[in-house]
Amino acid sequence: MLSVKNLVVDIDGSPILRHISLEVAAGELVCLVGRNGAGKSTTFRTIMGQRRPVSGSITLEGRDLTQLYPFAIARLGVGFAPEESEVFGDLSVADNILLPTWTRQTSRSVDEREALAYRVFPRLERYRTRGGQQLSGGERKMVSIARALALDPKLLLLDEPTEGLSPAIVPSIVEGIASILQLGHAVLIAESNMHHVPDFADRLYVIERGEMVYAGKPNAVPKSLSAPNGPDGE
Amino acid sequence: MSLIANLLLGGIFHAAVLFLVAAGLQLVFGVQKIVNLACGSFYALGAYFGITLVTLAMNFGLPAWLLLPILLVAGVLMAAVGPPIERLLRTVYDRDESFQLLLTFALVLMFQDVLRLVWGANPQSLNNVHLVYGKLTWGDLSVPVYNLLVIAAAGATAFFISLFLRRTNYGRLLRATAENRAMAEALGVNVRSVYAVVFTLGTMLGTVGGALVVPTSAASLDMAIEFVIEAFAVVVIGGLGSMPGALVGALLVGLIRAASLVVYPEFEILAIYVIVIAVLLFRPSGLLGKAAT
Repeated sequence: MLSVKNLVVDIDGSPILRHISLEVAAGELVCLVGRNGAGKSTTFRTIMGQRRPVSGSITLEGRDLTQLYPFAIARLGVGFAPEESEVFGDLSVADNILLPTWTRQTSRSVDEREALAYRVFPRLERYRTRGGQQLSGGERKMVSIARALALDPKLLLLDEPTEGLSPAIVPSIVEGIASILQLGHAVLIAESNMHHVPDFADRLYVIERGEMVYAGKPNAVPKSLSAPNGPDGE
Repeated sequence: MSLIANLLLGGIFHAAVLFLVAAGLQLVFGVQKIVNLACGSFYALGAYFGITLVTLAMNFGLPAWLLLPILLVAGVLMAAVGPPIERLLRTVYDRDESFQLLLTFALVLMFQDVLRLVWGANPQSLNNVHLVYGKLTWGDLSVPVYNLLVIAAAGATAFFISLFLRRTNYGRLLRATAENRAMAEALGVNVRSVYAVVFTLGTMLGTVGGALVVPTSAASLDMAIEFVIEAFAVVVIGGLGSMPGALVGALLVGLIRAASLVVYPEFEILAIYVIVIAVLLFRPSGLLGKAAT
């Protein structure tokens, strides 16, 4: 479904991504693990069209994404929940979640898409009328993921969905991701902590200083990479 | 008593027109983060074109009571200058504010020459044609009905803009884009099309404001620059990007101006700037603006 090949991205002349390649197949959960600053967010923002690559290709179901505007990539079916959540503070939770249904039509009705978003994070039902700026960090993460899901995407990009959350909230997010997978969506997650990679991940990539150093099964990661000094960082 | 009432109504009429132009300025700044000095030119363009369209309509024998609808049509038609100018502004969206100010000020100067070329250097007016709607007299108080209609039109505009931004899905998309353009775009919002719509709406508010004011005062080449200064006083007082701020700012400026004209005319412009300076000193984000974070 998503195929990234030999992606090179520079920011202000500095090389940030060096010949990154990764694949996400339909219905798969793939994790991209790396320390802060390794290039995970840049990879996601480049897939979303917010950064232009120097070279390399990004295709979704065979279609080149590198020349498209971000809105066109979203309308092709790529949902994005960024690391900082970026929930619209001026809109209510309900409007945040409904927003993608106004920009992309799919075979699912608006009601169906909205219901799916709340089914994944039932707790959000209580906060429908609450303003985006009145939410806790964990609630913002849930709204951000539910909002990306309301786009009815073929592929979901979740940038550090559990980063900075209290341990009490993390299971709700992980359960939400599991139910998203059951709905048939492909999911690509960026994680800075190897221990936060969900057990049910199909594949794992490890990125260090803008280069891919491991691609394979999560249970086969070399000890040097999964050790405390490795990409799990802390 | 009637002096105070006349003063109040005169101030509110001026505030109504100021609000229309300042609302356009606020809308464009709120969503596009562009400080558009050319809003004064849109106001002047609406005024000149309003005179032309009303004169044409009268020559074709249309009844004089159609004045207000004809002026509204003139303002709406002149909003057609919005999309090509927005296209030009795309070159400076991601650049320093000074580029935006320089480009929009260049537009003010260019429009001034266009107005001179098309309508000539002499001021133009509609010779009190607005009195066709009659005057409302109550004791010593006498006010043209046209002025009341313009005040009502501005009030209705404020109401519908608020309704549009708060209650429609497109309004919510605009608010989301204003808050976080990149995130809105990542959720499928075509920001380029949103910008074109917002800028055209902002232009329309300016051209309609100009068209509505022209029956009561002459259109002149200097009106763009004079008015843009007042419109900026309004947004500084009210708070840049705040629509309720535009309303409050316009009312304050309109009333202060009217009061100065009665009490001490030489103080008219100075009074406005005293308030602007006070706001900048004690509440830099404006009376209803959000403080910068």
